[in-house]
Amino acid sequence: MTETDLHSFLPLKPHWFHIMLSLAGGEQHGYGIMQEVLNRTTGKVRLWPATLYGSIKRLIEADLIEESDERPAPELDDARRRYYRLTSLGRRVLDAECERLQELVRTIRAKQSQAMVTE
Amino acid sequence: MNFAWRIYRRLAQAFPHEFKLAYGTDMTQLGEDVVKEIATRQGMAGLIRLIAYIALRVPIEYLSEVHADMRYAVRALLKSPGFAFVGIISMGLSIGLTTNVYSSKWALLFRDLPAAVNAKNLVMPEKPVSYYYIEQFREQKDLFAGVAAFQIGVPFNVTFQGNTNAKPERVFGQLVSADYFSVLGVVPQQGRLLSPELDKSGDAPVVVISDRFWRNRLNSSPNAVGQILRLNGQMAAIVGIAPKDFNGAFSINPAELFVPITAPAALAPELANDVLHQRNAKEFLAMMCLAPGGTIDSAEAALDAITRRLDAQDPSLPARTDKGRRVTLLPAGTRVPLPRELRPVLLGFFLLLTGLVMTLACTNLANMLIARGANRRKELAIRLAIGAGRFRLIRQMMAEGILLSLLGGIAGFAIAYGLTVLNSRFSPPMGVPIERDFSLDWRAALFAFGLALVCGIGFSLAPALQATRADLTPALKEGSALQLPGYRRFGLRNLLMVAQVAASLMLLLITGFLVMGIRKDSSIQTKFDPNAMLLLSIDPVRDGYPPENAQALFEKLPERLKAAAPARRIAFAAQPPFSIIDGDEALQLTAEDSGAASRVQQSVIEETIGAGYFAMLSEPILAGREFEERDQRKQTDGSKTSSSLAEPNNVLPAVLNETAAHGFFGNGNALGKHVRDDKHLYEIVGVVRNLKNGIGISQSVIFLPLTPRDFARAPADGITIMVRSDAGPFAETDALGAIRNEIALIDPYLNLFHVQTLSEYLDRSRASTRLAVQTYGGIGVFGLVLAAIGLAGITAYSVAQRRREIAIRTALGASRAQVLRLVLREGTALVGIGTVLGFLGAVAVAKILSALTNVFVEAFRIGTGDLRLLVGAPLLLAAVTMLACYFPARRSVKIDPLKALRQE
Repeated sequence: MTETDLHSFLPLKPHWFHIMLSLAGGEQHGYGIMQEVLNRTTGKVRLWPATLYGSIKRLIEADLIEESDERPAPELDDARRRYYRLTSLGRRVLDAECERLQELVRTIRAKQSQAMVTE
Repeated sequence: MNFAWRIYRRLAQAFPHEFKLAYGTDMTQLGEDVVKEIATRQGMAGLIRLIAYIALRVPIEYLSEVHADMRYAVRALLKSPGFAFVGIISMGLSIGLTTNVYSSKWALLFRDLPAAVNAKNLVMPEKPVSYYYIEQFREQKDLFAGVAAFQIGVPFNVTFQGNTNAKPERVFGQLVSADYFSVLGVVPQQGRLLSPELDKSGDAPVVVISDRFWRNRLNSSPNAVGQILRLNGQMAAIVGIAPKDFNGAFSINPAELFVPITAPAALAPELANDVLHQRNAKEFLAMMCLAPGGTIDSAEAALDAITRRLDAQDPSLPARTDKGRRVTLLPAGTRVPLPRELRPVLLGFFLLLTGLVMTLACTNLANMLIARGANRRKELAIRLAIGAGRFRLIRQMMAEGILLSLLGGIAGFAIAYGLTVLNSRFSPPMGVPIERDFSLDWRAALFAFGLALVCGIGFSLAPALQATRADLTPALKEGSALQLPGYRRFGLRNLLMVAQVAASLMLLLITGFLVMGIRKDSSIQTKFDPNAMLLLSIDPVRDGYPPENAQALFEKLPERLKAAAPARRIAFAAQPPFSIIDGDEALQLTAEDSGAASRVQQSVIEETIGAGYFAMLSEPILAGREFEERDQRKQTDGSKTSSSLAEPNNVLPAVLNETAAHGFFGNGNALGKHVRDDKHLYEIVGVVRNLKNGIGISQSVIFLPLTPRDFARAPADGITIMVRSDAGPFAETDALGAIRNEIALIDPYLNLFHVQTLSEYLDRSRASTRLAVQTYGGIGVFGLVLAAIGLAGITAYSVAQRRREIAIRTALGASRAQVLRLVLREGTALVGIGTVLGFLGAVAVAKILSALTNVFVEAFRIGTGDLRLLVGAPLLLAAVTMLACYFPARRSVKIDPLKALRQE
C-alpha cells in the first residue's frame, strides 16, 4: 500500500474516525464502540445503532477494519456479539489521519500565537 | 418507550437480507441495550432520533446494494461480451425501430395539427367542392362553428425585395379563404393573420408566411412584417407570421405561404376564370370546425342532404339516383386527414409490425437469459447453500437484465436518431415537397424505454426464479439434468421458441409481401440511354406571363430548342415520364359504347402529355396515333363543359394503355370509342404499351393532351420539357448550356427548375423504392437473425442439460448420427410448429389488411401470389434456424462419455 493509496482515505469521515479510534486500543464490539465514543466525547458524539453498523459494514468493505476471531478472556466475552479490530491498513490510515490532524492543530496554534503577538 | 422499541425492531427487520445476516442480531441487541438509556437521558427527542436514523439508513443500504448489483452486472456482461452484444443490439434495434415508426408515422397520422387550437373539432369532406358549395355549407351555423376554403400544394415563384436580378425561388403554399386561420384556431406570432373583415376582393395583395419561411428565407428578419414579396411576379405585402410549427392544414405537404383567395388571378393562376363563382368548379377543399356538441356523423348526414339538394338544383348536372353518401367527412385535425375507418387499420398494422419486432427481441432476450440462468444453476445453488438470500440472487440476476435493456434503450435511441436523420435527408421525386423532418418523439422514446425495462425485468425475473428455486442437493451434484423429466412439452422455453419462430416468419413474410409489392420488376427499362434525356420544368404563368403569352411560348419553344445544339426531339408533359402518380387522383371513367348492357366503370390514372411524347420515349403505338400539335390547342374549360358535353368541340382525344383499353373494351378495338367522366367525353385515338411507373407498377392509365388550360395553370411540377439528344449523354456535351442560353434568349427571367437527366430522375425514384425495400427487408432479416440466435441458444442449453444422458447413450453404443438426431429432434419440432403458425398468421394478416383497406392490397396481392416468397421464406427460415441448431448440437457428439460420467 503506497502513500497515495493511504491518502485517498483522508480526511476520514468523522464516524469512521471515531470508530477506528475506539478500535485503536484493541478489539471491541458494536456496543463497546458506541459507549467508548460516547464517553470519550463526553456525550457529544452518539453513534446511532443504524449509523454505527452501516459505517462498520463500509469500513470492512474498505478493508480498514475486520471481524476479529480472537475472543477476549471468557469472563469478559459477550458470546452473542461480534468483535472488530483494525487491519494493518486501517492502523496506518488512522496514524496518517492523526498526523494530519496534529499538523492542523499546530498550524492553528501558530496562527493564534502570531495573533496574540501582534495584539 | 415500548412503542419506539417496536418500531426500531420493525425497521431493523426491513434492512437488506445480507446486511441483516451480518449485523441484524447485533443491531437489534444494541437497540435493546440503548433504548432505555436514551429514553432516560434524552427523553422523547432521543427516541425519535433513534428511529429517524434507522429509518434513514434502510433506503441507503438498499441503494448501496443496488449499486453493488449494478457493478456486478457490468462485470458479468463484460465477462460474456458476445451475450451482451447480441442482447444490446437486438433490444436496441427493436427499440430504435419502434421509436422511429412511432415518431414518424404516429406524428403524421394521429397527432393533432401543431398550433391549431380547434384540431379536435376539425373535419373536411374527402373530395374537393366548388366555392359556391362551401358558401352554402358556411350557412349551417348550427352544424359548424366555421367553414373555410383552401387549396394545397400551390406553387409560387417568389422573388425577394431588393434582389430583382435573382432567379425566383419556387415555394409551395396554400390559397386560403380569409376565415381559414380562425377556423383552425391559429393565432399569429407576429403581425396579423387573415380575416374576413380585413381581407376583401380588390384589396392590395397580402400574404401570411410560415415560421419556416421566415427563418429560412428571411433569416428571421425582425422587419419581415410589412416587407413586400414578389409572388408570381406580383407584389404582395407580408402582413403576419404564422406560429412556430404551423405548416398549414394537411401539413404532410408543408405550406410556407398563405395567400388569400381574394388575391388577383395574376398572382395565383389557380384563381383564374372567376373560379370562385363557378358553381361547378370543384377546386377547393373545405375545412370545417364542428359546432359545440356537433358530431361528425350528424354533420356528414346534413352535408350529404345539402349536397344532394344543391346537385339537384343544378340543371347542368345529369340526374343521379345513387344511394350512397355523396359526402364523406374526414377528421382533419391531423397532418394527413384519414378516413375514420382507416385509422384503426393503420394503427393495427404499425402496432403489429413493431409488436412483432419487439416480441422477437424480447423472446430472444428471455431465451438468452433463461439459458444463462440455467448455466449458472450450480453457482447459484452453491451461493444459496452458503447462505445467500434468494431475493438477493434474484435481484442480482435482474440487475443484469435491467442493465441489458437500459443499454439496449440507449442503443435504440442512437438507432432511432440515425434513422430519423437518414429519413430527413432523403427526398422522394415529388413535385410538392413532403414533410420528412420528424424529430424524435420523447413519448415514443419513453414508451420504448419503458417497454425495454419491463422486458428486462420480466424476462430476467422468470429465469432467476426458476434457477433459484432449484432443490439444492441434486443441483450441487453434477447431474444437472435433474429438472428434465423426459420432454417438457409445454415448458416456458419451448413456448417462447415457437413464438419466436412464428413471429419471425410472420415478420419475414409480411415484410416480404411489401418488398415484393414494391419491387416487382421495378427496374424501368428505357429503350434509349436515360442519360441522353434531359428534363427541365418551366411555369411561365407564375413568372408573370399572361395566359395567352404562355401558350405562345410553348408553341415556339420546340423549334427554338431544336435549333439550339444537338437537341433533336422535344416533348412536353405535365409530369416527368415514369413518375409515381397518386392513385387518389384517378379519374372515374365509364365506357360509353362498350357494347355490353352494363357499362364498364373503372378508376384510371390520368397523365397529361404533349405531342410526340411516345416517340420521345421510343414507345411504339399499338393502335391509332399519339397526340399531335393540334391536340395541344384544344380549348377545354373544366368549369363550363358540363352544359355542352355533347358538342364535338368538347370531345377530348385520349390515349389508353393496354390495361385500361382491355378493361373498358375487352379484346375489341378501342379506337374511336368513347369514355366519359361527369365533365368530359373522351375519344380514344390510340393505345400504347403499359409503361411502368417509378415504383415499378403498371396501372390503368389514360393519357390526355396538354391544353391551353394546362399551360395557363401548370401543375405543381410545372410543365416538364423533355429534351432528347442524339449526341449521347448530356453530361458529356454542352447541350445543357446551349438550352439554358436559348431559353435565356427567349426570356432571361424565365425560371428553369427541376433540371436533371432522366437517369438522375429515375435514380431518385429508385432511391425511394430502395429505401422502402431496405427498411422492410432489414426488418425481415433482423427477425430471421434473432430467431437463429434464439434457437442456437436453446439448443446449446439443451445439449448442456442432457450431457449425462448423451454420455450414457454414447457409452451404450449410440452412433454419432443417432445422438445428433436426438438433439436436433426437439429443435426441428419447435421450428416446424413455429413455421406453420407463422405462415398461417402472415397469410391471415395479409388477408385481413387487404380486406380492411386498399393501402396494401397491391403489395399483398402480388406478394401472396408469389410462390418464391411463400415457399422460399419458410424454407429460408427453417434452413437458417436448423443451421443455428446444428452448430451447438454438434457439440453433443463431442461429449466424452468417460469424462461426463466421471464428474458424477
